[in-house]
Amino acid sequence: MPRANASRTLRILVPFLVTAGGILVGYALSVGLPGYFVFLGTSAIVAAIAILGLGIVTGSAGMIALCQLTFAAVGAWVVAGLNVIEAPGGFIVWLVLGGLAAGVVGILVGLPALRLRGVNLAVVTLGFAAAADVTLVQIQFPGSVTGTSIVRPEGFGTDREFFFLGILVLAACGIIVYFLQRGRWGSSWKAVAFSERGTASTGQSVPGAKLTAFAVSATLGGISGGLIAGQVGLAFASSFSPIQSLALYVLAVMSGAHLIDMAIFGGIIWIVVPELLKRWGVPQDWGFVVFGVLGVQALTSGTNLGTGIRNLWWKRALKKGGTATNHLTTDVSATPAPQRTFSGEPILVVRDLSVTFGKVEALKQVSFELAEGSVLGLIGPNGAGKSTLVDALTGFLPQHTGSVTLDGRALDRLSPTRRARLGLRRTFQQDRVPPSLTIDGYVRFAARRRLTAGEIAEALEFFGCPPASTRLASVDVGTRRLVEVAANVLARPRVLLLDEPAAGLSHEEHVDLGRRLTQVPARFGTSIILIEHDLDLVRSTCDSIMVLDFGSVLASGPQEDVLADPAVIKAYMGETELL
Amino acid sequence: MKKYLLGVAAIGAASVLVLSGCTGSTGDGGGDASPIVVGSVNALSGAAAFPEASQAAKAVFDAVNAEGGINGHLIDYKILDDKGDPAAAAAAAREVVSADNAVALVGSASLLECEINGDYYVQQDIVSIPGVGVDPVCFNNPNISPANVGPFLDMTLSLLYGSEVLGLDNICAMLEIAGSTLPAYQAAIDKWTEITGKKLIYVDDTVPYGAADYTPYIVALKEHGCQAVTVNPVEPDSIGQLKAAQAQGLTDVTWLLLTSVYSENFSKAITDAGAGIYVPAEFYPFTDAESPETKDWRTLMEANNIPLTSFSQGGFLAATYFVQVVKGIKGDITRESVAKALREMDPIDNPMVGTPYVFGPGDTHNSNTAGFPVKLLSGTNQWELAADDWLTIPE
Amino acid sequence: MLQGALSGLAAGGVYAIIAVCLTLMSRLVRVVNFSQAATGMFGSYVAVWMVSHAGLPIWLATIAGILVGGLLSGIIGWIIATWLSEADTTTRSAVTVGPLLLLISLSFILFGNKPQPFQPLLAGPAFTVSGVVISQVTVAMVLLAIVVAVVSKVVLSRTTVGTQLRALSERPTTAELIGIPAKPLGVAVWAITGIISTIVIVIVAPSQSNDAIALSMLIVPAAAAALLGAFRRLDLAVIGGLVLGVIQGFVAQIDQVSFVRYFLPFLFIVGLLLWNQRKAVWDAAR
Repeated sequence: MPRANASRTLRILVPFLVTAGGILVGYALSVGLPGYFVFLGTSAIVAAIAILGLGIVTGSAGMIALCQLTFAAVGAWVVAGLNVIEAPGGFIVWLVLGGLAAGVVGILVGLPALRLRGVNLAVVTLGFAAAADVTLVQIQFPGSVTGTSIVRPEGFGTDREFFFLGILVLAACGIIVYFLQRGRWGSSWKAVAFSERGTASTGQSVPGAKLTAFAVSATLGGISGGLIAGQVGLAFASSFSPIQSLALYVLAVMSGAHLIDMAIFGGIIWIVVPELLKRWGVPQDWGFVVFGVLGVQALTSGTNLGTGIRNLWWKRALKKGGTATNHLTTDVSATPAPQRTFSGEPILVVRDLSVTFGKVEALKQVSFELAEGSVLGLIGPNGAGKSTLVDALTGFLPQHTGSVTLDGRALDRLSPTRRARLGLRRTFQQDRVPPSLTIDGYVRFAARRRLTAGEIAEALEFFGCPPASTRLASVDVGTRRLVEVAANVLARPRVLLLDEPAAGLSHEEHVDLGRRLTQVPARFGTSIILIEHDLDLVRSTCDSIMVLDFGSVLASGPQEDVLADPAVIKAYMGETELL
Repeated sequence: MKKYLLGVAAIGAASVLVLSGCTGSTGDGGGDASPIVVGSVNALSGAAAFPEASQAAKAVFDAVNAEGGINGHLIDYKILDDKGDPAAAAAAAREVVSADNAVALVGSASLLECEINGDYYVQQDIVSIPGVGVDPVCFNNPNISPANVGPFLDMTLSLLYGSEVLGLDNICAMLEIAGSTLPAYQAAIDKWTEITGKKLIYVDDTVPYGAADYTPYIVALKEHGCQAVTVNPVEPDSIGQLKAAQAQGLTDVTWLLLTSVYSENFSKAITDAGAGIYVPAEFYPFTDAESPETKDWRTLMEANNIPLTSFSQGGFLAATYFVQVVKGIKGDITRESVAKALREMDPIDNPMVGTPYVFGPGDTHNSNTAGFPVKLLSGTNQWELAADDWLTIPE
Repeated sequence: MLQGALSGLAAGGVYAIIAVCLTLMSRLVRVVNFSQAATGMFGSYVAVWMVSHAGLPIWLATIAGILVGGLLSGIIGWIIATWLSEADTTTRSAVTVGPLLLLISLSFILFGNKPQPFQPLLAGPAFTVSGVVISQVTVAMVLLAIVVAVVSKVVLSRTTVGTQLRALSERPTTAELIGIPAKPLGVAVWAITGIISTIVIVIVAPSQSNDAIALSMLIVPAAAAALLGAFRRLDLAVIGGLVLGVIQGFVAQIDQVSFVRYFLPFLFIVGLLLWNQRKAVWDAAR
């Protein structure tokens, strides 16, 4: 498909063209601006790089980090230290090393983040910032006692040239962040911000996502700190005070710094507000008051400048294109597809699976087998333990007893991430699809393998989903769950557990979804366990059925036998939703 | 949302207009002769701010301008804020030097400005007479010569007063170290040892800035049996230390402090001063209200509503020295001619300092080496003279 | 060594009380209030200003300052209750970073950064233990911490308001459906913790360094203390504060590890969090 290829080439080219344009503008500014503004511009660049980092950890990954300038201090420390010992390589190499060192510190500070989230992490990072600040004031940066100036690189010695160097560094950081944000890491950050369970269920390691976010963010912080050291010539603790870290955080939240242009805008604001105050003769302390007020405004309204502008843009696009929903009811039976045959051997074997919560036995000695290429319906009244069974099978309840074997391999001690990677996948009853991604981004992230645009389009078409370029935020909840199913099917797992995938769809759509699900084993090679309330859907889809009641298997076997079982009928007396 | 965005866009547009509109307007003063641009870089906001030095310098320049300026040229004095932030300090220096084309910097008062901008001043060959120099580079740069004694020699003076005048033994030191100041304080203590042959019995150079509670450090002083202690605190920290000492019942210690705490705010905030707080004031004590030495300064400050502090003394002196030297320049007043005149100037006497001011041609400058001892005793809430004459560091 | 340890008790008492406030806030209104100490700082500065500039008697100014602290806290609470009533703890807490920044800068603008002439409400030593003087402030702080914790506990478990508050924190929607006034009660909790933290800071500020940043940053050790009780248990918050203060005082006596003391609250926080959260693996229950 030449057109798809052309658009792909364009997609990769455009950011480089934008960056090249940015560098040209930067060069023009470095030549044309008055000297003082060049120096201010360098400060704006430094702030923009730090905010770019914050955008990743707070904007994309949704964690509160209040110690960005402490990471900057690490970068500055390394640059100053290497400068004092006159390490080979010069400033650029030191800058990179400073960034890497800050990245390592970021990982160390981020280690608690593996377990911690939300506000606890904010407490950790504020504590770290406060402690590091006092320590830095006391132990001093290398070379500050002797007043050893940091040597700027050859050709970038003057303020103007150094500004241009800053532009180059910012451009490099920007383009790297652009591709990281659009790649696996970026998707994993956005996924982990929305739901850790959802992230793990796609086979993405949650600690991995958090640590990469922290590491990249801290690395950018370190680079900005190194640049400050080069800009000022000496590194000082007062450049990196916790108060400034707080202000930078507020600024990142308010500008929407997960977007690169907004991070640069944030850097400019960081400089413009104090400069305006100066021109108007207002004391500089008002600057942080302004940031404080704007931050409260942004945080309470849950909006930021970047998304605000983009939403306006998208709203217009949406008016043209209409709202995105599914088109399940169109007929797809005509679409030709590769057909597979199956041996009928059991692919998933569960023996004596039990789960207890305190004194409550949620699952009692559940045993069953899933034949390869089949669709097993799992039904039962509310509270029967259906979702608990899904959680236990996919590793979200590590305390379960009994054994789970996938394709002959025991899964019992493995994490949800590992199980997902081995080919045991699930979807959720709740919406676990990160709305900050596009359908394309989410499908590629969840599938964990190289996909052609054609493959994606075909699968989306098959499940009646909107086109790949649609943003998930503008897709209704029922359809999002279909996207989740499509993405997980595209991952080609051996077994896929669907936890009420039809909730949020109309009754006709239920039946249509059922028709498609019956084709999944043959089309995609995936066996399915379907949890459903809607007996019509189960009847139309499942070869065999298992009934759970009070955590035990009440009946299991071919559809007709189970539904005719008197015990099943008795258990369902009064279950209105089934009648 | 739309309204909010519009608002932000409006602010953005306004800022572009203001920023671009204000750049082109330097140089045209409107008078017959072009003005002499003089700058200063100060800590005006943030946790530690010293606005009085530049205010005092401005008052001096305004008085000169009211009498027609220097050789017909009015002085255009630019006061810039460094916020205690290195990058802001560097930016401020660049604005004054390269955008405003200042001929010199006069009356600056900042914690880190000399250290950040010293090399830049040398490179641009512009001279600076800080009103209050704090960091070591202020006293160690060919283009900078402050009007004040500085904290380092001040500590030597404080120790000299304690050991030689008060006759105290068992002196300890608590040093709050920021930036590159430790070697400079060490040198100051060594100088005292060199002069007197005495040694400190205990030095703690790990005392933090801005700690919430200094009790543990006070307990350490107690354990080492310190009879007197010299500290280099900023005012809030010193108050914290004194409070902690009071709470610990450590009331028989003499405090040998520096001019940094010599203010009326400080004396009002202190209820218990142990066995007394002694400070070698870097300028003639302003709290001695009737003194003829401070009359000129006091009259000018009161006329302009500027707080009476040692900072405003420093700013006043720096501006006075500058005006006196520049008045003697024949020909154009430029960066070069000002630098040359200062380097070749004759020493200037002023009753507010113990030693005459001279910028001098050397690579380092510290012409002011005398302090006037003052004391603050418990319950008085008032500074009093502790001597009849200046205490000078012996050559 | 014991001397050093005891010398940290006063600071520990302060940590404990603010930790109790943080715990109450976290339990009752789902917020970790980063501006808890800052509102106290601002209130006490107002009190000092009223004495020195408006000439009010100390007791009147102190009461006014305490009310200002409560009012400020109440306003922040009202903002959060109005616009973020449904938001999660993290978002609600993040908002309080703004007031923290704002109050510090505003206090620089309004009150300058010269030392404030705080008049001690309590001064002097109370008694002596093995050579270390225990000051009146120390005694007051430790007692106040215990009293605040006990009173809160009693109010929460024995009174109607307490029951309503607990209902609100545990089942907010149900509680509102049965007619418990969520917003006024929430704002009241904010105002009361604001008042408590202002009282603490008004008492300790005269006896320690009292610049705006030092006082506002008391939030860090206080949060460390509150974490011992996982932001749930008042008794552990009090113990955490006292223990942290004592350890800090102890470590300050050992020159070799003196810089460790800066990291103590941080290490305390990390260690406790890892212990508390050792079992909670996922962000959502299901």
